[in-house]
Amino acid sequence: MALSRALAFDGVGFSYGNVAALSDVSFEVAAGERVALLGRNGAGKSTIVRLVTGLVHPDPGSVWIGDWDTADLAPEDLARRVGSVFQHADQQLFARTLREDVGFGPRALGFPAREVRRRTDEALDALDLHAHAEQHPYDLSPALRKVGALAGALALEPSLLILDEPTAGLDRAWRARVADALREHAERGAALLVVTHDLTFAAETLERGIVLDRGRLACDEPLERLLTSAERLKPLGLVPPPIAALSVALDLPGRPVRERDAAHTLARVAGGRSAS
Amino acid sequence: MRTLGLDDVTFWYPATANPALENITLDVGPGDIVALVGRGGAGASTLLLVAAGLAPRVTGGRLAGTVSRGARAGIVLPTPWTQLSGMAFTVWDEVAFGPANLGWPGHAISRHVDHALERLEIAPLASRDPASLSGGELQRVIIAGILAMDPDLVLLDEPTAELDPEGARAVWRLVRSLAGEGKAVLLATSDVDALPDVADRIVWLEQGSVRAMGEPSLLAEDALCEAGLGTTVAGLWRAAALPAPYPLTVVDAVQRWR
Repeated sequence: MALSRALAFDGVGFSYGNVAALSDVSFEVAAGERVALLGRNGAGKSTIVRLVTGLVHPDPGSVWIGDWDTADLAPEDLARRVGSVFQHADQQLFARTLREDVGFGPRALGFPAREVRRRTDEALDALDLHAHAEQHPYDLSPALRKVGALAGALALEPSLLILDEPTAGLDRAWRARVADALREHAERGAALLVVTHDLTFAAETLERGIVLDRGRLACDEPLERLLTSAERLKPLGLVPPPIAALSVALDLPGRPVRERDAAHTLARVAGGRSAS
Repeated sequence: MRTLGLDDVTFWYPATANPALENITLDVGPGDIVALVGRGGAGASTLLLVAAGLAPRVTGGRLAGTVSRGARAGIVLPTPWTQLSGMAFTVWDEVAFGPANLGWPGHAISRHVDHALERLEIAPLASRDPASLSGGELQRVIIAGILAMDPDLVLLDEPTAELDPEGARAVWRLVRSLAGEGKAVLLATSDVDALPDVADRIVWLEQGSVRAMGEPSLLAEDALCEAGLGTTVAGLWRAAALPAPYPLTVVDAVQRWR
């Protein structure tokens, strides 16, 4: 096994009763890699989140977190390596203040108080949540509760972070803050696997796209290439995000998909047009 | 004629000194689609709760000013999973829960439920257990349950947050079609890129007050882009230091470029 492997799915299947959710899914995610998990509603993305966090176990196949086979591991065992935010993050928040909630994970893992405090402060810092730290989590908007749950996951300092729709309902400024925090976390060596329908956020934050279609792996390639191909996205239930669509429509050199790259290219091309 | 009228409305949540909404005056009439945009915490969700009559009746708190509703309202919350009845074993029964509680006769319930399932393109899910649905499927079931009650005032808080792009487009098409039937629609969304093709009017909320109100072209104005509330394409044009007015959509940008 390569030491840098953070996650591996090997021939994974899973069914809810008679309803098959995943069939023969295999992929690996390396340490520090930033991966988007895409696909239609009901494609099996949230089932992958449940498998990675140990809430359910594969049948057949194996899921590996680093060199741990998850087959006999419970969520609390996996929490030493996996930080997660579920689609309905409300279910993850239960303390009286956001600060207590963010510190719950490191406390439960048995870290001393000083270490719990350091991790809690760093996670609140990373997401600029200090202003809300003493609020009751349920006094926050639903979208901000999700950011609070993300802070709790960051405080675990996991080697793998798996997030289900982390930006649903967030305004652009908060999305940018989440993107910065995730990139910083990945730069420190953590792998990211992010379920999202927000392809603008995916383009800005992530580098590789894995697409599920009716429980099967349909596509696994660099996001920049995938997001500029409307013909390939369409049968997968996806549409290019606005910047990728504009890059293609204006035939911008390099087909940029991120705002900063696209703005730079657009300004350069517009400058060239007005000079000629 | 107005379906919803807010006249100089100020609202305080319990035990808070600062109001969550301040001096809001807003009319929504039959066939109108009015979209609320703002940074998180600007008051859009609270305004929808006030419009639905849930604030202060359910939330507690205090309201000053006048709220008038000329019709029955239905609201889809930003946490749709909290709107499940918990008493239905199939999607069909879940969608029928609201109409049944309105005391409608069986044939009317069936007609409205079947129609709502078709409109949300979830008829194939009718016999599924709601507990087995994905987040996006569930969001459409909740919207169907609200529409099955045939409200004349439709209030939607982040109605596409859980949906894939196809599902989101279907919901936005549905919103236009509801307005075409004369329903009044007031919605809040962070998906501002969808709004130029959906909304008739944009209301920009900032710290509980209306900062600006106008046509969707508002979403390409400098001040909204500065606040991170403009469309992606307008924001890109601005970031590239290209001259205003900024295009709203990809189609606008391509026309401008040529």
